[in-house]
Amino acid sequence: MIALHNLKKAWRGKPALHGLSFEVRKGEVFGLLGHNGAGKSTTLGILLGQVFPDGGEALIGGVSVQRERARALAKTGAIFEAPRFYDYLSGWRNLEIYTSYSARVPRAQIAEAVETVGLTARIQDKVGTYSQGMRQRLGLAQALLPANEVILLDEPTNGLDPEGIHEMRLLIKKLNHERGLTVVFCSHLLVEVEQLCDHVVILNQGRKIFDGRWAELATDRRQVRLEVDDWPRAAALLSESAGVSVVEPGVIALEEKCATADLVARLVGGGVRVSAVEPQRRNLEQIYLALTHNGAAPQA
Amino acid sequence: MSLFLLQLRGELWKLFARKRTYIGFGVFLGVETLFLVLCQIPFGQRGLRRLVEQYGGVFEQYFSGLTVAMIMLTMTLFFLGALFLGLVGGDLIAKEVEDGTMRMTLCRPVSRLRVLRVKYATCVIYTFTLVIFVGLSALGAAMLMRGAGGLFLVIMHEKLPVFYDFGPGLVRYLASLLFFALSLLTIATFSFTLSCCNMKPATATISAVALFFVDWIVFFFPILEAYRPWTMHQYMSTWLNVFRNPLPWPQMLEDYGYLIGLDATFFVIGAIIFSTRDFKS
Repeated sequence: MIALHNLKKAWRGKPALHGLSFEVRKGEVFGLLGHNGAGKSTTLGILLGQVFPDGGEALIGGVSVQRERARALAKTGAIFEAPRFYDYLSGWRNLEIYTSYSARVPRAQIAEAVETVGLTARIQDKVGTYSQGMRQRLGLAQALLPANEVILLDEPTNGLDPEGIHEMRLLIKKLNHERGLTVVFCSHLLVEVEQLCDHVVILNQGRKIFDGRWAELATDRRQVRLEVDDWPRAAALLSESAGVSVVEPGVIALEEKCATADLVARLVGGGVRVSAVEPQRRNLEQIYLALTHNGAAPQA
Repeated sequence: MSLFLLQLRGELWKLFARKRTYIGFGVFLGVETLFLVLCQIPFGQRGLRRLVEQYGGVFEQYFSGLTVAMIMLTMTLFFLGALFLGLVGGDLIAKEVEDGTMRMTLCRPVSRLRVLRVKYATCVIYTFTLVIFVGLSALGAAMLMRGAGGLFLVIMHEKLPVFYDFGPGLVRYLASLLFFALSLLTIATFSFTLSCCNMKPATATISAVALFFVDWIVFFFPILEAYRPWTMHQYMSTWLNVFRNPLPWPQMLEDYGYLIGLDATFFVIGAIIFSTRDFKS
């Protein structure tokens, strides 16, 4: 559905993308993960034809964004971290204005999109009176219109409270399941991408350092935090076990073949009292470090 | 309704739903009111009386609604009009880029040139609306205060006096609004072009207005007369030819041809800049 081939872009001589390539399949929820400045927004900008690449090409539905932008984006919608609207106009009027740049959209279709995002009751109110969550939902409604099949979401949960984040996540999942939408989800928050996406590309300083299923990344090296009464003794016992390595005192990394329960049994059998075993979520930084230091070579 | 008209309708909704759009209209009404009050005072009439009598007219005959409206139109619109048209022209693109709404629009499968065309059409409509509003409101207010009567004006840079009876004067006055709007469109277009560049809306407005005034200084001051043919005002002031008898059509066509060519050039430059720049937050 979406293919990026060898995209290159530099801002004022400073490279932002180093020959980035990846593909997104139809109906997939795809995560583009990376710290601020990793190149996510530049990638999205190129996909939308708002940023001209120095090299390479982006295709949506097999059509080049750089050569036939209007045709490539005919079924594509997008929202940015803070969707911008004309605050002095109603939500409905905003939708009419934005969608007029795509096609003539029937009122019933706009109403359906508004219903989908749960804004019907407030759609005639001025956007200036909307909360951040309502703005995001309005942004999503405009991204759905008119009958888009691909939506690009750049940090769509920025500025939302936990409830708003949860609602947005559910909404994206629902749209993906019910309408078969292809979703490209950009974020710097690991947990968001983890909960939404099955296919992930991780960017670091404009380079792709991971491209694969989320499960591959998650099960690559599990980490577990242990609370024991005698860490040196526990470390000595763990070092004898295959597939286990000590990350730092109290934290170990396990290969897929290792079962946590077996390790705990070994520690207890060796006379170590185990008071807590807690699976660790690695943050983006740790994943970067793991990927760059453990042989997962940056992929161009 | 074609898609272009649908998009234009949206742009007009945006423009005319915004409070700042009406600042111009409000300021003009205020200035007109002040001007009318000043005209009621004998001291305020002294200059006009001297001018009418200097050119052989009867002051009481030409101190009319039409004459007062004409003075208000030229005095206010030429200077304040440039400011407000510069403001709106500068806002049309740069403000949307600054606010982030342009990026939302450019997510749509629409060419940048189409976006510019729609916005420029809005700019043209606003220019004509503003000039016609100021012209008609000035005429209405002045007629209420001074009633019907002859039209008197002096084409200043040529020191050419013009006298008309009420009927022909009114026709010329109304026609002049359209030509005046066409002249002022150049300043709006220049501001619009600057607004296509990567700059703040205020910078675009100030730059456009600054150019307008520098151009006016070069045009108006005798010491710089040699440079006059190179100024925009040389051509923009051709709207005053509407008051000549007979109408100098060849001259007006040539001048408006030049201005329209200048507007087209500004637009193409703006379109090239707008179409080749990156948009990223």
